[in-house]
Amino acid sequence: MKKFSSKSIYKRFLKDDPHGALRMPVYENNAFEAGSAEDLEAAFAGKRMAHVYSRISNPTVEYFEQQIKAFAGAEGVVAVSSGMAAIASLVLAIAKSGDNIITTKHVFGNTYSLFSRTLKPWGLETIYTDLTDLKGVSSLINKNTRAIYFEPITNPQLEIVDIKKLAKIACDNGIPLVADTATTPPYLLDAKEHGINVEVLSSTKYISGGATSVGGLIIDYATYDWGQNPLLAGDAKKFGPLALLKTLKTKICRDMGNILSPHNAYLQSLGLETLVIRAQLSCKNTMAIAGFLKNQPQVKEVNYPGLKSSDVYNLAKKQFPNGAGALLTFSLESKAQCFRFMNHLKIIRRATNFNDNKTLIIHPASTIFSEYTPELRSEMGVPETMMRLAVGIEDIEDLKEDILQALEAI
Amino acid sequence: MKIIINGSIEEISSGNSISKILEIKGVVAKDMVSVQLNDEFVKKEDYDKLFPKENDSIDFLYFMGGGQS
Repeated sequence: MKKFSSKSIYKRFLKDDPHGALRMPVYENNAFEAGSAEDLEAAFAGKRMAHVYSRISNPTVEYFEQQIKAFAGAEGVVAVSSGMAAIASLVLAIAKSGDNIITTKHVFGNTYSLFSRTLKPWGLETIYTDLTDLKGVSSLINKNTRAIYFEPITNPQLEIVDIKKLAKIACDNGIPLVADTATTPPYLLDAKEHGINVEVLSSTKYISGGATSVGGLIIDYATYDWGQNPLLAGDAKKFGPLALLKTLKTKICRDMGNILSPHNAYLQSLGLETLVIRAQLSCKNTMAIAGFLKNQPQVKEVNYPGLKSSDVYNLAKKQFPNGAGALLTFSLESKAQCFRFMNHLKIIRRATNFNDNKTLIIHPASTIFSEYTPELRSEMGVPETMMRLAVGIEDIEDLKEDILQALEAI
Repeated sequence: MKIIINGSIEEISSGNSISKILEIKGVVAKDMVSVQLNDEFVKKEDYDKLFPKENDSIDFLYFMGGGQS
């Protein structure tokens, strides 16, 4: 089975359901009984395929992980409680005090906070640079660099880097390339083909199937030799390319207690089955809205990588052949105009999320990035005149009508 | 022949591949388990190509349950 739509639906359960259920049931329970003390000992030692406790593993969560693994063509998947939990867990698994990660200030606001505030007192250094300046990236790598971390389409700047070139730099220097693919999950981006070693993403977005639940994923393609990482070198001897998966499953996520809840795993398993059709429609709608906004005299600027007028159009077309995501940004003359526009919308909702089935709008400077100074926001590429539209799957004519009447009211 | 499986000495007919030994030991989901032969990681694509010998040691571990190792 090769096609995305089929792979997401036809993943078989690891064990047959006693009632022949076609959908993995929600195992909403904490503990799993063993037939004997010896069986329990073997399960604790990982020598028997059995769940023992839902903070560590659970059949519904495991099934969702297996679905994602098949969908993405990955070697290992860990499902955790949020996208931020995925990013934090991955970083804790591969970096320690004195190590550094190379990234850009053009990342999700909470990711910037994690790197620059939460992890900094623990001795993790973050080196910020312009990742589109590939020579500059190479010059920053040193013996303590543990990863290059980036977003294939940055949120909300919607910038794109040549992923294969960035991957070559990472590979040539013996470090992994890690991507936050919340805006471009498997189907929109073939991460492995582009040389990304590990994906971390919020499954809250596209995968949850319409903003049903919060969750995160760490997807490992087992293409990096973790023997090169001091924290994982020991496990790499015994577990080879699965060393990261082993460390996450049996240490980091187990000890932090951040695995996905069974109920959310169920919802996201269901969401995954319709990801392809939702992504197709929302990308098509986004392209149409971007073109529509460009023709409105009140709109100063429209940014969508799928637009032919975009500086990164050719790269976007090459890297995201199934669509450049469902986020666009556009600018009006002032923050006040942006607020008036948002307040007059009737169908489009004011909320901080994306890849809901509903179209959502937010003013990033006054919300997601409000905790940062205007100077830093400027460095982060988040001006006060910009709004982010996260396009859903409504009828396109209704969305256009709503935008038009709100523009007339500003 | 005698081989050591997960620390216990067991009698297994010679000529069995790792794949077959996993099957004999009831490992039903091979993509859920990691395998070491004499403390060396074994790639999944080698499960059918490697035939353990007398006194070899095989360890397999699921990344579920308690995950102690």
